[in-house]
Amino acid sequence: MARRLPVYLLIDTSGSMKGEPIESVKVGIEAMLSTLRNDPYALETVSISIITYDKDVNQLIPLTPIDDLQMPEISTPDSGPTHMGAALEMLCEKVDKEVNKGSKEQKGDWMPLLFLMTDGKPSDIQAFNNVIPKVKNSNFATIVCCAAGPKAKTEELRLLSDKVYQIDTLDSASLMKFFKWVSGIIGEGNKSMGATEELVLPPPPEEVNVVI
Amino acid sequence: MSLVTTLLEQCGIQASLAQGDDFQKWLINEAWNKYKDSRMNKRIVIENQVKDLNIKLSNGTVRKDYTASFSLSKDVVTDFWIDGCDQLGLKCDISEENECTISGKPSQPGDFKLKLSYKYDGMIDGEEPLSIELPIAFNPNPRSLWKDIPTDKNVIFYKDDCVCEYVKVEEKEETGPRKDIVAASQRGRSHAQEGKARDDHFKLVHCEDSDWYIIAVADGAGSAKYSRKGSEIACETVVAHCLEKLKDSAAFEEKIRAYKNAEDEETARKQMANIIYDIIGNAAFKAHKAINEASKANENSKPKDFATTLMFAICKKFDFGWFIASYWVGDGAMCLYNEKKGTSKLLGIPDEGEYSGQTRFLTMPEIFKDATAVFERLRFSIEDDFTSLMLMTDGVSDPMFETENNLNDFEKWKEFWNKLKTGFAEDEIGGVDLSDDNEESKTQLLKWLSFWSPGNHDDRTIAILY
Repeated sequence: MARRLPVYLLIDTSGSMKGEPIESVKVGIEAMLSTLRNDPYALETVSISIITYDKDVNQLIPLTPIDDLQMPEISTPDSGPTHMGAALEMLCEKVDKEVNKGSKEQKGDWMPLLFLMTDGKPSDIQAFNNVIPKVKNSNFATIVCCAAGPKAKTEELRLLSDKVYQIDTLDSASLMKFFKWVSGIIGEGNKSMGATEELVLPPPPEEVNVVI
Repeated sequence: MSLVTTLLEQCGIQASLAQGDDFQKWLINEAWNKYKDSRMNKRIVIENQVKDLNIKLSNGTVRKDYTASFSLSKDVVTDFWIDGCDQLGLKCDISEENECTISGKPSQPGDFKLKLSYKYDGMIDGEEPLSIELPIAFNPNPRSLWKDIPTDKNVIFYKDDCVCEYVKVEEKEETGPRKDIVAASQRGRSHAQEGKARDDHFKLVHCEDSDWYIIAVADGAGSAKYSRKGSEIACETVVAHCLEKLKDSAAFEEKIRAYKNAEDEETARKQMANIIYDIIGNAAFKAHKAINEASKANENSKPKDFATTLMFAICKKFDFGWFIASYWVGDGAMCLYNEKKGTSKLLGIPDEGEYSGQTRFLTMPEIFKDATAVFERLRFSIEDDFTSLMLMTDGVSDPMFETENNLNDFEKWKEFWNKLKTGFAEDEIGGVDLSDDNEESKTQLLKWLSFWSPGNHDDRTIAILY
C-alpha cells in the first residue's frame, strides 16, 4: 500500500449546530473534498476520517482514501452537551490503530493532520484536560482548531494547539472559505516531504481570525 | 328525483334536488381526498423504504472501468429504470430479478446525480412513478492533473530540472572491458506541479590516471528552502576531496593490498579503517562544513535550510578484485549487486523514522559528534567482481522497495535490476540498455525515472557503476 497522509476531522454536532450550521459544515467538507480530488498528489495520498461529537462520539468515517470517500449523513441531536474530551480520546485510539508507523516490514504513513471545529466548548472538561497530553504524543504534524460562531470559546482549544482560529458566523460562506483554507493546508502537508519540523500554514482568509 | 335524493329518502332524509347535487359533490370530494391521502401515504411508505435501502454507488475514476451494482426487492419495487447514465459514458442493465448493474468508462470527472425512477405494487395507471437521486462521483485520473512547470531560471541556486551523464571508461587491450558509470536525476512531479526546483544532485568522476571511480548522490530535504544547493555542495565537496586524496593513492593502495594479504586481519583492518576515515570520513565532514559556510555566506539562512542526505563511494579494480569504500547518511539506497553470486550488499543502514519523510541529514551536528558516529556510516569491501554498484535517492528506492526488509532482499534487487532493463511496458517507458560503453543509456535512464507510482512523486536520482 502506498503511504498515506492521514487527515482527521473532528466536528462538533452538539444541539446548537442543528440546522444551517451543520448543513454549512457539510457543504464545506464537500467542497474541500472536491478541491483535494483535483490535486493529483492529494488524490493519491490523502485519507480522511470524520469523527463527530455531541453527547455521543462517533467515527462516521474510518480513515478512507479520498477517491473512495462518500459524504456521510451528519445528524445532530436537539440539545445536549459537547463531549470534546471523549472525542479526542477516540481520536487517539483511532490514530493508534489506523495510522501505519514505519518498520522494517512496512512503510510508514506521513504524520497525520488534525482539524477540530466547535461552536462551543468542551462540557467534559476533566476528560478534555486529561486527554491533552495524549493528543500531544500522537505525533500530529499539525493541529488546527476552529472556534466557529459567537458562543465558541478559545481558551480550552489553546491548550491543544497554538493554531487556534475563530470564525464569527456559522454561515456557509465563512465555512466554505474555512474549508478551502483547510484544503490548502492539506495540500501543503503533502508537499512538505522530508519535513521533520512543524508544518507552516498558509495565511488564513479574512473571515478567519487568528487567536493570539 | 335524482339517484342521490332517492338514496337519501331510503334513509329517511328529505332533500331537494339542489341539496342532493351539492351533497353528491361534497361526498365525492371528501372521499376522493381521503383516497388520495391514502395513496400518498402508501407512496411515502414505499419512498421511505427505498430511501432506507441506502443505495450507494461507489466512486469511480475517469476512463477506468467502472461497475457498481445493487438490487431492489420485488416486494417493494416492481419495476425501475435509471436516467442519466448515457451522458456519463455508462450503461445500466437491470435483470428480471431487479438486480441493477451500472458499468462503463466514466467520461468526465465530477459529482453527478443519476435519477432512479420506480413503480411499486398496487400502482394505478396514471400515477406518476416515484424517483430518487443517486449521487455518483468520478475522480479525475491523477495522471492527467500533473503539470510540468519549468523552474524559474532566476531563482536563487537554480539548477536544471533534469540531468543525465555517462562516464565512459573505454576498454583497453591490457584491461579488457571496463566498468562505466551512468546516472540520471529527474525532478519529482510534486515539484514540477509547482514549478519548484529539483533538490537532488549527483556527481560522477573517473580518475584516468589512478583509475579510481568516485560517485556521489544527495537528496536535498523537501522542507528546506535551499536544500538544492545543499545537495550540490555535498556532492561537489566530497568528490573534490576524494579526487585530491586519490591523486597519489600509492600509500593507500599498499594498505589495501596489505589488508588483502594480511594474516592478522584485525590489525590490517584497523589500519585500513584509519585511511578510509581520512579519505571518506573527512570528505563527508568537509561537506558538512562547506554547507555551514555556505549558510553563513547567505544572509538569513541556517545550515538546516540546506539540509541534505548524502551517499558516496570510491572504487577501484585491482588485480585481486574490486575495492569499494563508502559513506552514507540519510535514506535512499546504496547497494553492491552481484547477480552471478546471488548477493546484494547494502552499504549502510537507511535512516528512516516512524513516519514517512523522517530521516537524518548531513547538516545535523550529531552526525559528526565523535569518531564512532562517523565510523558507523563507513563501509568497505573487497569483491572479486560485481554486476553493479547502485546509489539512489528515496525517490527511486521508496516506490521500488518500500521497506527496509526489501532493501535487504536479493530477490527484490534482482527484480529491480530486471525492471531497469525491461522498463514499464504498460506506461510505454522503455528499459535501459546497460551494455558496455553504451552512452545512449543515460537518456534511457532519465526516461526510465519518470515511471508512475501512486503517491511517490519525489525527485529521483540514480547512479549506476556497471
